[in-house]
Amino acid sequence: MVEKQIEVRKLTKTFKVPVRAEGFAASLKSLVQRKYQEVEAVREISFDIEAGEVVGFIGPNGAGKTTSLKILSGLLHPSSGDVRVLGFKPWEREPAYLSQISMVLGNKSQLLWDIPPMDTFRVLAEIYRVPEKEFNLILDELIDLLDMKALLTKPVRNMSLGERMKCELVAGLLYRPRVMFLDEPTLGLDVSMQGRLRRFLTDYNQRSGVTMMLTSHYMADVTALCPRVILIHRGELLYDGELAGLASKLAPFKLVRLALEVDSPKPELPPEAEIVEQENGRLTLRVARAEAPKLTAHLLNTLPVADLSVEDPPIEAVIDQIYQDGEVSA
Amino acid sequence: MYHLRLIGSFAKISAQNEMAYRANFWISLLNSALNLVTGILGVWVLFEQIETLNGWDLPATLAILGVYLSVGALRGLFISPSLDTLTGMDGEVWTGKFDFTLLKPVDVQFQASFRHWHPLALIDLALGLGVLYLAVSQMGSSFTAGSLLSFAVALAIAMTLLYAILLVFAGLVFWSPGFLFTWVFDGIFQMARYPVGIYPTWLQWLLTWLVPIGIITTVPAEAFTGNLNLSMLVGSGLFALVAVICASLVFRLGVRRYASASS
Repeated sequence: MVEKQIEVRKLTKTFKVPVRAEGFAASLKSLVQRKYQEVEAVREISFDIEAGEVVGFIGPNGAGKTTSLKILSGLLHPSSGDVRVLGFKPWEREPAYLSQISMVLGNKSQLLWDIPPMDTFRVLAEIYRVPEKEFNLILDELIDLLDMKALLTKPVRNMSLGERMKCELVAGLLYRPRVMFLDEPTLGLDVSMQGRLRRFLTDYNQRSGVTMMLTSHYMADVTALCPRVILIHRGELLYDGELAGLASKLAPFKLVRLALEVDSPKPELPPEAEIVEQENGRLTLRVARAEAPKLTAHLLNTLPVADLSVEDPPIEAVIDQIYQDGEVSA
Repeated sequence: MYHLRLIGSFAKISAQNEMAYRANFWISLLNSALNLVTGILGVWVLFEQIETLNGWDLPATLAILGVYLSVGALRGLFISPSLDTLTGMDGEVWTGKFDFTLLKPVDVQFQASFRHWHPLALIDLALGLGVLYLAVSQMGSSFTAGSLLSFAVALAIAMTLLYAILLVFAGLVFWSPGFLFTWVFDGIFQMARYPVGIYPTWLQWLLTWLVPIGIITTVPAEAFTGNLNLSMLVGSGLFALVAVICASLVFRLGVRRYASASS
């Protein structure tokens, strides 16, 4: 039986945030009497993650992704619910737990700015009690995978964003963590560097069996890395399953692409078909999932169709619609 | 042993970090020299006018200055560089970089207190010890081995107390992340340049028990000049112990409040 490494039950996190009306008088008043509002960043989410899985944790800005990751890594205390990672309660921050997890943050750096990364790596090896021989072995492997030998002697401040992120990954993996949390690891990187880091993460997961939980706003990261996704929106879990199933479960519509024969007259379409794109006799229609077979038959019978296909919408479109509306409508 | 090794690594990497900027070395040297000259000049001008200051003569006052400079140097060696990184608008608590401290499998207070070192503060320490030597040479034969021992103990107590105060101020950052609480302390600490006995009684009380900078410099200086009794030494030792326990509690309470900066 595969070991469950992350178990989350009805996890809720509420923040108390100050609220203040605009204007000078309100600012003055807030000095004496401050008003607070409770914001539920995460609401009763539950899921399990097994050893070696790579799970994409997706959702729009403010959905509660980073808050959840911070609870799982022990940075925040949950308001209610239960969480176990590797059998530990993360927020108790036991050294035995912290030495088995790693968190890589795309928008923050743990490297010392003015000196080469190798010096930071050595201090980290000391902190995580990695013996010299093992340190050299792990470092060689990571350097090889990330193709970054030349970076070891370059001061961090002189590095590009992509080079720095390679070093952050080495810093996060030097002690062979069993669970890795990655918060926007490809943030701000160019397309080519994003691709290289994705390939590295896939390779590394296959070699080491490390469990990875990743948040990203780049769907390319998610599609390339994560067979499974957990989608949260406004703190609630909307979907947990295979990436491929996300569209069919959450997007109650299909796309019908059809090419009409040359010189066809302007087609008359039934009202339930919404035109998404139209160009040179090629049409893309959005139709309710349940209506798709009937409508397809109708189109074939009534229009001079040269070609027709029925597809699930691209994952980006589904995500975009969920992010905008919080739900998907036909 | 693990923690000592870590301190060694932290000090080494801080030194490397500092050496990245050559100009820093010369500016630090100039700063130390200025600090020394203004201190000695102040004491010298004072004792040109009077023989003693509320019972404190020139060597004793020089001893206070020497202690003040030495304590300040030790503070600047690691306590301030480490704790100051937490505070202010670009501090780790405000920016959320404190996440990395919390994620390490090492005690948070230990990391926060020993992570960053400023090796150039050793220049200040040398100057402070130089002033103490000057004070000894002025005192003549009254300086004994016993004075040296009780001075060393009093200095350790002073450092513990100073650490406790700065830890509390740094801990307050978790309640108000952008505010530089240590600046408040810096202002008060300036008063420790002179014997606490020269201040009005109410201020003496304040500077001994509330913000105990009196104990930080006056007690080691009294030990240095052979004027410290054992009960005062033991009393200030106990006071420092209680202070450091309370400071640690405040700091740990603060860490629990840390919400991390939003992504």
